Amino acid sequence: MHLPAFEFVKPDSVGQTIALLAEHGERAALLGGGTDLLIAMRQRLVRPDVVIGTGALPELKRFEVGADGGLVIGAGCRLTWLAEHPVLRSRFPSLAAAIRSVGSRHVRNAATLGGNLNLPTRCWYTNQSETWRLARPPCFKTNGDVCFVIRSARQCFALNSVDSAPALMTLNACVTIQGSGGTRVVPLTDFYRDDGLSPTVLTPAELVTEVHVPVHRARAAFIKVAQRAGLDYGLGTIAAAITGSNRCISSARLVVGSVASRPVVLQQSARILEEGGLSAETIEAAAEAARADLGEITNLYSAPGYKRRLVRALVRRVLNAVRQQQPPTGDT
Amino acid sequence: MKKRFIRLTVNGDMRELAVTPNQSLVEVIRDQFGLTGTKRGCTSGSCGVCTVNSDTGEAVLSCLTLAVEWDGRSITTIEGVEQQGHLDPLQQAFWELGAVQCGFCTPGLIMSARALLHGNPRADAEAINEALAGAICRCTGHIKVKEAVASAVARLSQLAVMQVDTDASKD
Repeated sequence: MHLPAFEFVKPDSVGQTIALLAEHGERAALLGGGTDLLIAMRQRLVRPDVVIGTGALPELKRFEVGADGGLVIGAGCRLTWLAEHPVLRSRFPSLAAAIRSVGSRHVRNAATLGGNLNLPTRCWYTNQSETWRLARPPCFKTNGDVCFVIRSARQCFALNSVDSAPALMTLNACVTIQGSGGTRVVPLTDFYRDDGLSPTVLTPAELVTEVHVPVHRARAAFIKVAQRAGLDYGLGTIAAAITGSNRCISSARLVVGSVASRPVVLQQSARILEEGGLSAETIEAAAEAARADLGEITNLYSAPGYKRRLVRALVRRVLNAVRQQQPPTGDT
Repeated sequence: MKKRFIRLTVNGDMRELAVTPNQSLVEVIRDQFGLTGTKRGCTSGSCGVCTVNSDTGEAVLSCLTLAVEWDGRSITTIEGVEQQGHLDPLQQAFWELGAVQCGFCTPGLIMSARALLHGNPRADAEAINEALAGAICRCTGHIKVKEAVASAVARLSQLAVMQVDTDASKD
């Protein structure tokens, strides 16, 4: 498939990028690694008149390990480089595992962290070629007024499939957003919205420039279930970060991805662990409690009920994985 | 669309070309350099038949790369892998172990494996699987492909030992 016509501009700085976004508004799109935007353009899902190349912006390549051990990761850092970085592998292993699960090595060589965080939501009915889509009326995502997944829906339920988000959310990450209105820092747990059409809080002339991951003392794990061990988006993903010993947990964070229009924080499940510790019984209770936290699930790429059962299994698996890990030295 | 001139080096051959922004690297390789070993498959980064190697030896999906972004850079395609008219160890292994059937995906598999060996010459089975996850073959079931890559790893390490011996014997 051929790419549609567009004008390509390559700003030298984030400031110039923002100015271009402000100037062109909805006619512009940001290009990072190209592993998502170019596909969407080939499918004629998006048709920007102006493509802004950010892949080489030096300001987005920042990578720092602070004196306290916290990370600053530029949104333009490539996923292969991050997944193999010794600091991520040793001190933020759930994040390294999550990044490593994206696509394939080929994709990760080009893809950026900022691009992954801003992945548009996807749906079997829209992530198809234009010819395929023309066989049906348009849906909410394509300027129509119906949802083919949930017939009674009055909004879009396309799936958020950001593989890096659940792990980052369990690690209390924040994103720096720069735009024509200035700079703001938003916790990643507040970055995503429950809306298939507008899945993040970014306004048109803004971009994510950095991801901050504070130092942590958690045992953390990440699991992705997909049809294949590469290339596929998840049927369901889960990240966990548990601070404390199995007997006494000071904080538990559990986030599930690829099951709804945003990553879902499992608050009730986490509370069970914080109150009761990490044992076979509390893990089972947490797995059951996940149903309540999930709310509306989008049954895409799976039979009805499958994703709820999958989440229950993911909670069990990820908590059992954490339970086997040694707590960081210093905890009893 | 405005065309712009870019300089691109493919297998050591440097050319100045006029490209439009919407031309991907695979189109330029095939249509302007005339090198058709690199294929168009899914054109969405999910099959790997378009894989080329960057100037740093990485696997690059040329269907998802805009030619204008590679102005001044150089790449290697399957046509650039041979060594003075002979198959390189990786190609030799594919040949000897029967890892080629219809051959359509073979350039993509070899360029993917070549990138792997460039960065990790002692790649084990897990690393081979990870590197080839993005390159799909419909014919072989991948078994002989993986054996061929493993065989090339062994052959390359043998060659490295021989080189050390040769260097040592010159002392």
